[in-house]
Amino acid sequence: MAERLKPVDVVTIGVGLTGSLSALELARTGLKVVGLERGAARFTVPDFQSPAIHDELRFSIRKGMMQDNVKEAVTFRNSSDETALPIRRWESFLPGTGLGGAFVHWNGQTFRFQIADFIYKTHIEQRYGKEILDPELTIQDWGVTYAELEPHYDRFEYLCGVSGKAGNIKGQIQPGGNPLEAPRAREYPTPPMKEPYFAALFRKGAESLGYHPYPQPSSNLSQPYTNTEGLRLEQCVFCGFCERYACEHYAKASPQTIVLPKLLAMPNYELRTNCQVLRINLDSTGKMATGVTYADGSGREFEQPAQLVLITAFPLNNVRMLLLSGIGKPYDPKTREGVVGRNYSYQTTGGPTVFMDESININPFMASGANGTMIDDFSGDNFDHGPLGFIGGQYVGAIMTNGRPIEFHPTPPETPKWGLKWKQAVAAHYNHTILIQQHGTSTASRLNYLDLDPTYKDAWGLPLLRMTFDFPENDIRMSQYIADRVVEIGRAMGGKTVVRGGTRRPYTTTAYQSTHNAGGAVMGDDPKTSVVNRYLQCWDVPNVFSIGGSAIPQNGAYNYTGTIGALTYWALDAIKNQYLKSPGPLVHA
Amino acid sequence: MKGGHFITVAGFTAVAILRICFACYAVAADSSARQPDGARGAVIAAQGVGTGVPACAQCHAFNGGSDGTGAFPRIAGQPVQYLVAQLRDFASGVRSNAVMSPVAKALSSDDLAEVAAYYANTSAPFLPLKAADQTLVKRGEQLATFGDESKQLQSCNNCHGPGGAGEPPTIPYLAGQYAHYTAFELQMWKRGYRKNSPEAMLQIAKKLDDRDIQAVAAYFQQVLGSSQAATMTKE
Repeated sequence: MAERLKPVDVVTIGVGLTGSLSALELARTGLKVVGLERGAARFTVPDFQSPAIHDELRFSIRKGMMQDNVKEAVTFRNSSDETALPIRRWESFLPGTGLGGAFVHWNGQTFRFQIADFIYKTHIEQRYGKEILDPELTIQDWGVTYAELEPHYDRFEYLCGVSGKAGNIKGQIQPGGNPLEAPRAREYPTPPMKEPYFAALFRKGAESLGYHPYPQPSSNLSQPYTNTEGLRLEQCVFCGFCERYACEHYAKASPQTIVLPKLLAMPNYELRTNCQVLRINLDSTGKMATGVTYADGSGREFEQPAQLVLITAFPLNNVRMLLLSGIGKPYDPKTREGVVGRNYSYQTTGGPTVFMDESININPFMASGANGTMIDDFSGDNFDHGPLGFIGGQYVGAIMTNGRPIEFHPTPPETPKWGLKWKQAVAAHYNHTILIQQHGTSTASRLNYLDLDPTYKDAWGLPLLRMTFDFPENDIRMSQYIADRVVEIGRAMGGKTVVRGGTRRPYTTTAYQSTHNAGGAVMGDDPKTSVVNRYLQCWDVPNVFSIGGSAIPQNGAYNYTGTIGALTYWALDAIKNQYLKSPGPLVHA
Repeated sequence: MKGGHFITVAGFTAVAILRICFACYAVAADSSARQPDGARGAVIAAQGVGTGVPACAQCHAFNGGSDGTGAFPRIAGQPVQYLVAQLRDFASGVRSNAVMSPVAKALSSDDLAEVAAYYANTSAPFLPLKAADQTLVKRGEQLATFGDESKQLQSCNNCHGPGGAGEPPTIPYLAGQYAHYTAFELQMWKRGYRKNSPEAMLQIAKKLDDRDIQAVAAYFQQVLGSSQAATMTKE
């Protein structure tokens, strides 16, 4: 029997990006907030210091910062007529665990989505007509607009100290920035990162073809910065251990650097680590949460009563928590009814490898997680899709995040996979190869969804999340079209050999693609097609909010952290200024 | 750094397999200039150059070990690129010192490279030095190895290498460096007199209080060579 604890005002399930931002906002209103984190506590000092943090085997290969899939895996299949099996080793996507969550091991690539992304269905149908959509696609509007989110994007960027160059300030195009971006209120908090040589070569190649290169916005900072919470970030030193690692230099925005020192100092906030939330408890009506039940590291169960429950886990786990708690109707792909698990979407990634002449020295080990030059000419709806017969797009850029010894050894296609010839090819090409990213949309489809697995259970005896996913044909056509354009850029950069990229079916979980798992508990204006309303409040249980990437109805072209930050501030604004004054549904369907 | 799996370049870690690539790069980059071999550098170290450049050995000793006062840094075996950068910074005024600034200004570009190449290839014994207070050394070790979360301060070793062994070509070793010199330079950064490394060392020095500075300086001095001396002093 679970031990019943003293009631509190707010519980957050997970203490990562959304959990720490939410807790700080609500603790400031005087509420008693408890953060339940399934993983361990960890801080820049002593946990992230060199040389231990630069252990590639531990963190990159053995996924030392990720959800423990011995205890808690995800099962996967490509389509609903297959049997899903547990993913025993994370490769395709990397859900983080531990204090700070995935916002610790991220790369710092900090974008905004486009205006059209938020009104996607309306926009696409207006511009192209419904005929452009394949019948299985289930795109929809978000219920919130870019203009509404802009101040929250701005606030989040100034919290992180993002290094970048604005391309559009209040409608005025800015030289040096991205002319295709949505208007922003002001310049980035810090100037862009220095442009590496590989990125300069990309700029030259892209410009020669008439595209619009700009510096990638980065939350690994170009210079020291004191953020809006008064916390200090340092300058990135290009150590090349960013994604899959934590920053030892206080140079990357993470809960540890931008929020936690303030939050943990508040007397009305309590962090509890190694606490695995098993379910959200509902009252007898099923329309009100009474709190959560969790197990601590020794397996003892506790019931933590709370007035307000925020699901602030990794997006996949937000969906699982709703399913485990019986909140919202689970999606059924046969009847197409139900909402929880519906519109799970991913991202299309993978660009060409450009082999340069041996006189071109790339020095890929001098790297940062978000330090490249890119173009938005093929991103989202920035180009005319009318004659092309697909929707969506990709940003394209020379973004090289590392030259680490185990992971980075590009070789041309004809090279043997092992042995002396392979070694010779690695030595010949290591310092003369440029990777170009194609990174883009993945369109929601009625065939792709998340539900509870009927067979496999976690260490606490609860069903695992089951993922049913393959890339819609639309996304393949989009990615392959752009792959041809990017090969042209590779050649314009002076590539001797350009190995074409682009996404193909079937989707496989055995190669890294993206950790931007999106949707499954999507936001919207209609309870028939969304789990949460425009303020991320559950339609069915109004004192539960599901915050994060799970709310994204279909994925945009960009890395979604900036958008998650903006959505979090947007939701918290509504909670503070509307919900707390008058608890109950903020939108009446 | 045992086993040579990694080389580090200005704080950037790379695989040993890159040694060849990088060596090629370094040669290619410098091929326009004459390669300093350090032989003439040795003469400059011993005798100076004409007027304005006294023999380096007067303060730094011919082997680069300087003397036990700690008024002058140990420069034996520091990375050549680091030594060149410091001399140029003394000449330009980014780094300022009543003795070194005029000397660096008087050195020709070739002589500067020669003398740097000479001292980069010297080795010198570690002098027996008085042991510092062990509590202070312990605090220094903590800062060097882990940093201090309450000050949002990272460890020295992140950039200076395990035990302050250095991360060539741009980051100097601190292991065995005289405490007096290390402490003095940190104060110079903190008070705004030393202006190179504004993005890193200035920021770090500002977070150190006077005791922290004494502590890291004391710690790094005893990392190499002096531990035996410390024991001897006690006995």
